[in-house]
Amino acid sequence: MKKEAPVTRETVERLCVLADLPLPPARRDKLVAPLSGLIAAANELSRKIAEGARRGVLPVTRFPGREEA
Amino acid sequence: MAQADLLNLTIAQAAPRLERRELSPVELTEAVLQRIGAVNATLNAYITVCAPQAREVAQATERMIRAGYYLGPLHGIPIALKDNIYTRGVRTTAGAKILADFVPDEDATVAARLKRAGAIVVGKTNMHEFAWGGTTDNPHYGTCRNPWNPERFPAGSSGGSGAAVAARTCLGALGTDTGGSIRLPSSVNGIVGIRPTIGRVSNHNVVPLAWTMDTVSPMTRTVEDCVTMFEVIAGYDPLDPQSAEVPLADCRAGLGRGVRGLRIGLIRDYSLTHLQKAVGDAVRGALKTLEGLGAGVEEIAMPSIHGNISAQLTIESCEPSAYHQEWLRTRPGDYGEDVRTLLEMGEMYLATHYIQAQRYRSLLRREFLEGFRQVDVFVTPTLPFTATPCGATEVVIENNQTEDMLSAIMQFTGVPSLAGLPALSLPVGFDPDGLPVGMQVIGRPFDEATLFRLGHAYQGVTSWHTKSPRL
Repeated sequence: MKKEAPVTRETVERLCVLADLPLPPARRDKLVAPLSGLIAAANELSRKIAEGARRGVLPVTRFPGREEA
Repeated sequence: MAQADLLNLTIAQAAPRLERRELSPVELTEAVLQRIGAVNATLNAYITVCAPQAREVAQATERMIRAGYYLGPLHGIPIALKDNIYTRGVRTTAGAKILADFVPDEDATVAARLKRAGAIVVGKTNMHEFAWGGTTDNPHYGTCRNPWNPERFPAGSSGGSGAAVAARTCLGALGTDTGGSIRLPSSVNGIVGIRPTIGRVSNHNVVPLAWTMDTVSPMTRTVEDCVTMFEVIAGYDPLDPQSAEVPLADCRAGLGRGVRGLRIGLIRDYSLTHLQKAVGDAVRGALKTLEGLGAGVEEIAMPSIHGNISAQLTIESCEPSAYHQEWLRTRPGDYGEDVRTLLEMGEMYLATHYIQAQRYRSLLRREFLEGFRQVDVFVTPTLPFTATPCGATEVVIENNQTEDMLSAIMQFTGVPSLAGLPALSLPVGFDPDGLPVGMQVIGRPFDEATLFRLGHAYQGVTSWHTKSPRL
């Protein structure tokens, strides 16, 4: 697997398009550094959880016990 | 009774006096309202003070008790509600400009249950905006401050409730806890707070932060008072789809049982790792005290524990961002800068990040349940540090290394949130600057009773919880 690439200004720009979140350029620039750290950590966790030995681990989601009225 | 004496009464002390008509609910409520008036300009613990309503209810309460109708141990007790808890006819802002004018026409289930038990709501407490943060440095309603040192933060997001209880401006309060928001302010304000098992207490009509981790629960000066409030608000609610149909254990019955034979687990390379010295000393001291009472302490390995911060931040970023999607596009400028940035970033995770974080939760819970075969509770500090200066965005824990506040603050509290376990924060000492230290006790699902039992036994032989800030 290739070395972790940092989140860049262009990454944030593309993510804003995908999310339909029209952030002005100054706000996009502000997100690059913190998002880099968060996404890198999320990717590291994802790699660990995705390991073959853990394929049987289910996510924490459930239907409610009762339906809302 | 002198005002200072009135304000130092716990719920357990005030209740029998109220029942026997030795203490007037009007007098008690007035003392509390005067105390709020005296200190709230300094602490900013309250966003809304419900003085006229509280006085009216207090007078009605007095008439009721005099006529022989006493509802129970919360009847006539002044309490406060965190401002994300719907309170009928009272503005409920969630600490946000966006909800500055929101006045709900119905109560949250927890508010309704407290009122039905006769509690008197004196106000709505300050909080971190939309509960998405841990400092209660609120740009719209003012910075909340710690009564032990008003230059220091009260933590959050239920910082107002924490400060309000510690400063004797109510006899108990409700907070909400997603990643630590009851336990963190309980720790730095020197009070008791419990995060219940998810589904144990109704979230109906509470403004959400992260649906799969949100809880509501009491914050009080003593464990016994916490039980009193918890017994009233806990239990199945048909209005909350996540409410658990699990019978409520008798939490009061276990209070006098002590901790002899109770097995306490420390998580290897985690529970007592990466702390300020004073925090470590206080928690080790508390463990020694519990061992002296007959509890046993042993170390348990939990290999998956160290992924918890990333999982916490992923889930606690994505879920609020989903809730706030519309406002983030229509009213972005009405958010405080920190919350706005977090919400924007929460829109940028991949679905697989979120799902893997939710899978991590299953793994972590599995390891805890395995650990509960050997021990009855796990212990960590609530926070690795004591109250930092207001406005700080970084903290030094050890080796002069600064760390980001948000990750540092949830070092220990995120874990039970992720694993769906109850956790109690208990005052266990003070640092050399006189700032409180809290210890977190984590229990089995729906076993809040054991947490209360341990906390009550500890408070029976210590006096940290009786200290009061000089404000």
